[in-house]
Amino acid sequence: MDMFGKKPVLHGATDLPVLLPAAARLSATAKKERAAGFPLPHLKARHGFWLLAILLLSAGIAEAQSGTPEKQSAFAALINWAPVMLEGFVFNIAISFLAMAIGTGIGAVLGLMQISLLPPVRGGSWFVTQFFRNAPWLVLLFFCMFLLPFEFNLGPVTIPFPDWVKATIGLALPVMANVSEIVRGAVKSLPSGQWEAAESLAFTRRQTLWEIILPQCVKRMLPPWMNLYAILTMATVLASIVGVSEMMTQTGRALAAENRPELLIPFYSFVLICFFAYCYPIAVATRRLERRYQVKL
Amino acid sequence: MRKWIKTTAAAAGIAVLASGLAVTGASADVIDDIRKRGKLVVGVKADYAPYGFLDSSGKIIGLEPDLAQDVADTLGVELELVPVVSSNRMQFLEQGKIDLMIATMTDRNDRREVVQIVDPNYYSSGTNILTKGKFAQWEDLKGAPVCGIQGAFYNRKTSEEYGATIVAFKGTAEALTALQQNRCVAFVYDDSFIVSRLGDEDWKGWSMPLPTIDDAPWGLAVKKGEDAFAALMAGMIVNWHTSGRILDLETKYGLEQTPFAKKMHAQFRGVNPSIER
Amino acid sequence: MEAVYDWFRVFYQDTGINLTFIYDSYDRNRLIDGFFMTIWLSVICLVLSMVIGVVGAWAQGARSIILRRVVAGYIEFFRNTPPLVQLYFFYFAIGSILPTTENRFGFEEPILGNFAWAVISLSFFAGAFNVEIFRSGVEAVPESTKEAAEALGYTRLQTYLYIVLPLAFRVCLPALNNNLVNLVKTTTLAYAIAVPEMLYMANQIWSDSVNVPEMMTFLLIAYVFLVGVLVWFMNRWERSMRLPGFG
Repeated sequence: MDMFGKKPVLHGATDLPVLLPAAARLSATAKKERAAGFPLPHLKARHGFWLLAILLLSAGIAEAQSGTPEKQSAFAALINWAPVMLEGFVFNIAISFLAMAIGTGIGAVLGLMQISLLPPVRGGSWFVTQFFRNAPWLVLLFFCMFLLPFEFNLGPVTIPFPDWVKATIGLALPVMANVSEIVRGAVKSLPSGQWEAAESLAFTRRQTLWEIILPQCVKRMLPPWMNLYAILTMATVLASIVGVSEMMTQTGRALAAENRPELLIPFYSFVLICFFAYCYPIAVATRRLERRYQVKL
Repeated sequence: MRKWIKTTAAAAGIAVLASGLAVTGASADVIDDIRKRGKLVVGVKADYAPYGFLDSSGKIIGLEPDLAQDVADTLGVELELVPVVSSNRMQFLEQGKIDLMIATMTDRNDRREVVQIVDPNYYSSGTNILTKGKFAQWEDLKGAPVCGIQGAFYNRKTSEEYGATIVAFKGTAEALTALQQNRCVAFVYDDSFIVSRLGDEDWKGWSMPLPTIDDAPWGLAVKKGEDAFAALMAGMIVNWHTSGRILDLETKYGLEQTPFAKKMHAQFRGVNPSIER
Repeated sequence: MEAVYDWFRVFYQDTGINLTFIYDSYDRNRLIDGFFMTIWLSVICLVLSMVIGVVGAWAQGARSIILRRVVAGYIEFFRNTPPLVQLYFFYFAIGSILPTTENRFGFEEPILGNFAWAVISLSFFAGAFNVEIFRSGVEAVPESTKEAAEALGYTRLQTYLYIVLPLAFRVCLPALNNNLVNLVKTTTLAYAIAVPEMLYMANQIWSDSVNVPEMMTFLLIAYVFLVGVLVWFMNRWERSMRLPGFG
């Protein structure tokens, strides 16, 4: 497949062949999760069926519990509220898309700054990256929600900042930091011999980076980047805690309007199913790409 | 370190910009803005049935949205409702994100320092508990786990003065579930909300046994310095009390008529203020 | 101390920056309690998740196929659902079907409260990852190393304690560290079931005193500091424990 495909397995390549492939696997997972900044889900098709089973079961129990005929059945209530909840889900998707775009754009620049030869640039970008990687997502979200203005005045142009845009920025910050780490990690993962070979062929540093190093990095970065997207999509539910009208919030409001605690589980499992339906294809695609682009890190 | 300095400078810039907005925003007259854009933006609750809640089409309805509609009709503009929660409603008003806030907010002096609360008050509610236990006075709650809602001001009082352990949740759905599971012995909340629950089949055997405390009026608020708009709103409120609008709305949403609304109606009947600005 | 408190009161009047958690003793105590609750929650969950990890790794190597299936199901459940949903599920759904005890108010109270459920839920969440980590770690130690130990006269237990575990631990450390750091960050979610940790307490304070920017800034700095110290310490430890020639 590619030039690294035939490299001997890790334990054979070291001076001390003490440990078995399990160690290499673990080390690879640890690196992957460190880059994504959060443990990765392992979605499988059967999880979708389980969720559906939970939904049906809990709705059935809710039916049995309510008993009183004048009340709507749990299923009818769910169908009734589904459009409102799905409307919220659109926000989740929009937030995840935008946050990923912003985070990737800024994070890529930040990641390249981390391999700069200038110590202040390197140190500064390292600090920013670490700062936003270490802050809990929920806290960053609260921060942006309450401290960003609702609109920016740039002379005659006014850029409005609705809630969901603020939440997007709040989620883009940790994404940015993690993309920065992914970029740095990918560049660092290439053998230094490549830099030296390029230098001996009279490539400038910029040429080496753009024409030799980065093209190889894209392949390595794609799977962790997609993993990060999956994590981000699931994290968009955190926006409910700060009051954005996304799916969890809409579900909470629907439950408040219905005011029937037995609907709690069917409604929330419906939320989970929506997220599963969206994330599962992405997870499958990521695994395929991972296998296709497998390189020994 | 250059990047770091840049980031700090950027953050400071955002802060300055934000404060600048607050200052420039206050000088313009908000009524002109509303008329110009043809839309009144009002912050209301969306999870506080029957004062502000969602119907299944996703529209916010309730007592307070109806009042907001009255204001929009008077101004002859469209109405836009923005859902707020207790912990962000005053920030939204300060930032100018909403023109008017009618969001079950208790009128308190420290809040009057932040936003302009309009006199007279449009509604009133006190604090009480929903429980199936035998409590005769607030002091009986000492050491007891009591559910509440994050952002409610009486949480502090209930724990500081009466020694209860407050277990505060995000919304009423979670808090009521926890209450039904006996995770707390009582739910401390607005008495008007509790009364509306007690009428429900599901809450048979539950009661509101304590004397209502902190019977405090609710204030609707405009941004600080918007005197003309505040004067207009004062006229609106007087009109609501005079015409019995609040009492009608209470009936419409299945609430018992509250003593406050009755008192205000009696007080203002016969007075017919002008609501011209 | 009173002078300091007074200074912050004046500071508030002059600048509008309201640091109630310094000068107001009620708020100060709340925030300190919240800070220690966050640490306490993290430490208990850390220890429990390690225990779960070790037991789980052992069970995965067991002969019984049922036991292995149960562990596999457990890992899948916790890996694939958002921790926020897990918390709700444990607290509201599982919590309500467990036996109850009568408290002094005459209520049939569920035996486990919100703190206990936060501990259980977060420990199981982190534990699911630890099982896989420990198993890979133990698998990573080659038979020949164990045989070498045996040849040197180590008993089976000694081999396990002095050879396998130390090696496995060093292999596991980077993955374990990730998990620990995530655990500390995830404790903020306990806010949703009203565990009085730092975020919850800060929220109570800004609801009472309307000082959101001040509390938010404090929270961000406090968490970045807490996690930053942890990461720094862990990285140092990792470096000193690193196996030469590996990774």
